[in-house]
Amino acid sequence: MRCRRVRPDLSAYLDGELSPGAARAIALHLASCRACAERVRSLGAASQLVGELPTLACPDSVSAMVLGRLEVESRGPGLALLFRSFRGARPVFVPSLIAAAVVLVAVLTAALLLDEGPLPPASVKVLGQVWDPRVPPYGTEGNPLLPSGDVSLPRNRPGGTLPESVLAAMHEGTLFLETVVARDGSVSTVTLLGGDSEQARPVLDALRQERFEPIRLRGRPVAVSVYRLISRMDVWAHLT
Amino acid sequence: MATGDLSLGRAQARPGALPEVGLVEQCRQGDAQAFARLVALHEGMVFNLAARLMGDAEEARDIAQEVFLQVYRTLGGFEGRSSLKTWIYRIVVNRCHNRHRFWRRRHRKSSQALEDLTLGEEVRLARLDAGRTNPYEQVRRRETTRLVQDALLALSFSHRVVLVLREVEGLPCQAIAATLSLPEGTVKSRLARAREALREALLSRVSKDGWP
Repeated sequence: MRCRRVRPDLSAYLDGELSPGAARAIALHLASCRACAERVRSLGAASQLVGELPTLACPDSVSAMVLGRLEVESRGPGLALLFRSFRGARPVFVPSLIAAAVVLVAVLTAALLLDEGPLPPASVKVLGQVWDPRVPPYGTEGNPLLPSGDVSLPRNRPGGTLPESVLAAMHEGTLFLETVVARDGSVSTVTLLGGDSEQARPVLDALRQERFEPIRLRGRPVAVSVYRLISRMDVWAHLT
Repeated sequence: MATGDLSLGRAQARPGALPEVGLVEQCRQGDAQAFARLVALHEGMVFNLAARLMGDAEEARDIAQEVFLQVYRTLGGFEGRSSLKTWIYRIVVNRCHNRHRFWRRRHRKSSQALEDLTLGEEVRLARLDAGRTNPYEQVRRRETTRLVQDALLALSFSHRVVLVLREVEGLPCQAIAATLSLPEGTVKSRLARAREALREALLSRVSKDGWP
């Protein structure tokens, strides 16, 4: 018998698990082959060394630790939820998981429907219809611009200025006025924002007669709002 | 309190004092005392097996705890087709295997050696046969233990399991096959390869360090 055929069975030979015939054949080979005999001896010695390893004892009491853990778990809700195994927690978690799944499906379905369906342009139109009459286009008489870097202050046309006589006829006091200059340079509206309305009437009439050079913004005529403060103060003094 | 409970458990844990089937049945009915006895009966075996498989006392302690918690929770599913001990062996091996894979993924080598525990054991043994074992013999034995455990840890996990179950726990191949859910032939061939690997590992260590 060759060594190569014997070697796989040496372990079983050591354990006495071979059939009597196979064991006898190996014993015969070992008697004649020193290498295999040495191998069996070292295999047996190695196994025996493992078997002779001292038994290790846990320095702490395993049963005390285990019973302590179980005692914590048996206290019911609270900390026990942290220690509970998945199997133990199933009655608690499964119903809530079902509810969570239902909610998740509902949310996802709604999200998908909203995502795939056409966007509601109608609502945008409705908004536009609501807002258009209230806020006229920017730069028209209903929604005039204020003078700024792009929009210059309107200048009076020759002959369209406020007559000096009107200012001279004014009594002492202050008027705060808004004039909306229309796109063609005429005065659209004049509003008294502050001051005595009786005293302001001739001034308002005169202001409505003013004429301006039309104001343009990027080539487009625009309406502009002008705020003015007109004040008269008489100072009396003895001249010596 | 813990020590008291334990000593009680150990005092009652006389093998054969209560038939295994009856003990399992009592545990199933929620008898804490019965479970304490069951733990006390097997905790030595569980810790020793886990320590030899993992080569780490801390790991072995954690695994022993987890094993008994799992035993407690799954005792209802224990059908009694194998012996309770075989069933517990299987849980220990599975736990150790999981932990081994966990650490291997994190590239950890076994860290805490078993030498302290082994040393304690040696001291206890030395006290038992005081006067018969000389100091040189104690040192030699301790060195041998370290060398063998070292070689054992150098083997693959599957080889280590069959070797420890066979040589340390003394299980026959049939019981090892039942524990690992493997065919008996596979266990035998694996055991043969494991012994060869152990022999190689020991020889390489002896030639490197010298036999104590």
